[in-house]
Amino acid sequence: MLKDIRDYQILFLSLFLILGIGTRDWTLQPELIAVAITTCLTTQYLFSLVVGQEKTLNLRSALITSLGLSLLLRTDHWTTMVLAGTSAIAGKFIFQFRNKHFFNPANFGIICALVLTPNAWVSPGQWGEDWWYGLLFIGTGSMILQRVGRWDTTAAFLGAYSVLEAVRNFYLGWTWDVYWHRLMSGSLLLFALFMITDPRSIPNARTGRVVWAVCVAILTFILRNNFFLPTAVFWALFSLSPMTILLDNLWLAPRFSWLKRKVSTLNF
Amino acid sequence: MKNLRFIIPLLLALVAVLCFTPAAWAFCGFYVAKADAKLYNKASQVVIARDGNRTVLTMANDFQGKVKDFAIVVPVPTVLKKEQVHVAEPEIIERLDAFSAPRLVEYFDPNPCSPPMNRALNFTAAPPMRHTARRGDRNLGVTVEARFNVGEYDILILSAKESDGLATWLNRNGYKIPRGANQLLKPYIRSAMKFFVAKVNLDKFEQSGYQFLRPLQISYQSPRFILPIRLGMINATTEQDLIVYILSPKGSAEITNYRTVKVPSNLNIPLFVKDEFGKFYKSLFQTAYIKEDRKVAFVEYTWDMSSCDPCSANPLTPEELKQAGVFWQDVPIRPYRSSVFITRLHIRYTRDQFPEDLMFQETSHRELFQGRYILQHPFTGNIQCPAATEYTHSLPQRFEQEAQNLARLTNWNIQDIRQKIKLSVGDLAN
Repeated sequence: MLKDIRDYQILFLSLFLILGIGTRDWTLQPELIAVAITTCLTTQYLFSLVVGQEKTLNLRSALITSLGLSLLLRTDHWTTMVLAGTSAIAGKFIFQFRNKHFFNPANFGIICALVLTPNAWVSPGQWGEDWWYGLLFIGTGSMILQRVGRWDTTAAFLGAYSVLEAVRNFYLGWTWDVYWHRLMSGSLLLFALFMITDPRSIPNARTGRVVWAVCVAILTFILRNNFFLPTAVFWALFSLSPMTILLDNLWLAPRFSWLKRKVSTLNF
Repeated sequence: MKNLRFIIPLLLALVAVLCFTPAAWAFCGFYVAKADAKLYNKASQVVIARDGNRTVLTMANDFQGKVKDFAIVVPVPTVLKKEQVHVAEPEIIERLDAFSAPRLVEYFDPNPCSPPMNRALNFTAAPPMRHTARRGDRNLGVTVEARFNVGEYDILILSAKESDGLATWLNRNGYKIPRGANQLLKPYIRSAMKFFVAKVNLDKFEQSGYQFLRPLQISYQSPRFILPIRLGMINATTEQDLIVYILSPKGSAEITNYRTVKVPSNLNIPLFVKDEFGKFYKSLFQTAYIKEDRKVAFVEYTWDMSSCDPCSANPLTPEELKQAGVFWQDVPIRPYRSSVFITRLHIRYTRDQFPEDLMFQETSHRELFQGRYILQHPFTGNIQCPAATEYTHSLPQRFEQEAQNLARLTNWNIQDIRQKIKLSVGDLAN
């Protein structure tokens, strides 16, 4: 139906935003969503002008980043959203290695806002644990992952994380409903299906991706359970993003391209 | 030019009237009733004051039985010394409760025949406004890390190696531990948590002359921002109410492992609710609780503690805040952190829907929110003017809307509500 996979991503992320505002009564402000979109698109446009390495203007990716920021980042100040949007897109152009950016743009924007401003936060409990949200995320997420061929990353992350949590749960002696409660978090699923699977910034080769996703899961687990960080997943992804460069050197594979999807899918 | 000199101040005065009068009117509704924690049978109340990793936790004591039977076991992240444990005054929790409780406000319609400007202003009156080790104990794996006396309480800080040993130790030392408790103690022991154990020292209690047990207040330094609720659910078969007051210099707090949802607020409801506000709020809360599938935490109040509007109780004085655990106001070097922001969370929990202990985080969100319900009294004086007819005709629709609001909020029967409205406002409703 839609030609570009990113159109599906835009559609689904917008749907989550609408559902979030409509049914989860978040402290989401429409004007902040507008700020996020405007900032991301403008920054993308400006950098494209200056750097001029891509032939077509990549507005779809910038829009996806802005929707991701709107879904995850909370703030009362529009300036914080501007900072997050700008750094998200700028990070894409600045932190490159052999023409490939290695930070997930939305994640980079969130970390910048959390570190550089006193008024940004992330609400990990905002989605609750409703099973139908889980199904919705898994359904829509799998549609996209099927097309971009990044199921391995989600499976490796969720697999490793759930094993670690199971071992912890067993060791501590909690009942198993505690375990399921921790795993059924909508925010965790959204992260696993939509954030760490960005095919442009994660390792190109399957083995590289699996190794990388397992590392993100281990670090998330440690940050959450030993350092009690509610934002563990974002910090884990951020700090392990540069590892992509190393993994790309260890396991070689052509870089993913939205436009030449057929060529790259040959590698899977 | 000379004329202008008169006109400009006049114009300014008019602008001032137009701009500021609505605001003055908007906040004139005064507080009439509150739905405080006394409404609930088994409500526990906890105050958490937190800045950085330092936490001061105050636990209200609502123990109903004989004082000599009282004992509590609370998992705590660190070993506590005597200076970290205090006894707080019960009034301080009552003050926080009264200050943050959901409230009923009322406004009065003005005479519809008075000049139109005023009327327009008056109708804006309901603005939307935006929870020593003893020998022999060693082989049970239990270590008494500290033993001291604070006020009417005897306090023990225990660490344990395994849960059966701890349960045996507690039973041997005269603490009645519910069956099944050792299974639940295990996760805390394995998470390297310590146990704060308190019982009443009867001699001290008699000397103190207090009628009731006072709240216990503990302070510690830990990155863990949690409230253990599982131990309290061992024998509970029904739902329990917990009201958590979180005081922070930054902004409101929220729960990270359950959803935090605002309680329905800022709606106009029929006048007769004034006499049954407690009943109304209980029904409202229960309805919202069922609607959210019994698994969310409700926010009843988020506000900067330097003010309130309308006030259901006066803001707490710096001295009272200190008693409630606020410790950051004594640091004059950081003036921007001198504020206190309160979040009142109301959690109704059961074992099946709340399997995990509550985890919190403070945010920089400073939106002011309150559970606030509005009574709008119609004008009852003698009115005779064309605008009066329009006003009188608009009333039944307004009452119907209020009836529907009430039915939706409380799940009460709409017919009964309509009947009660007729009785309370009489002819005006037709």
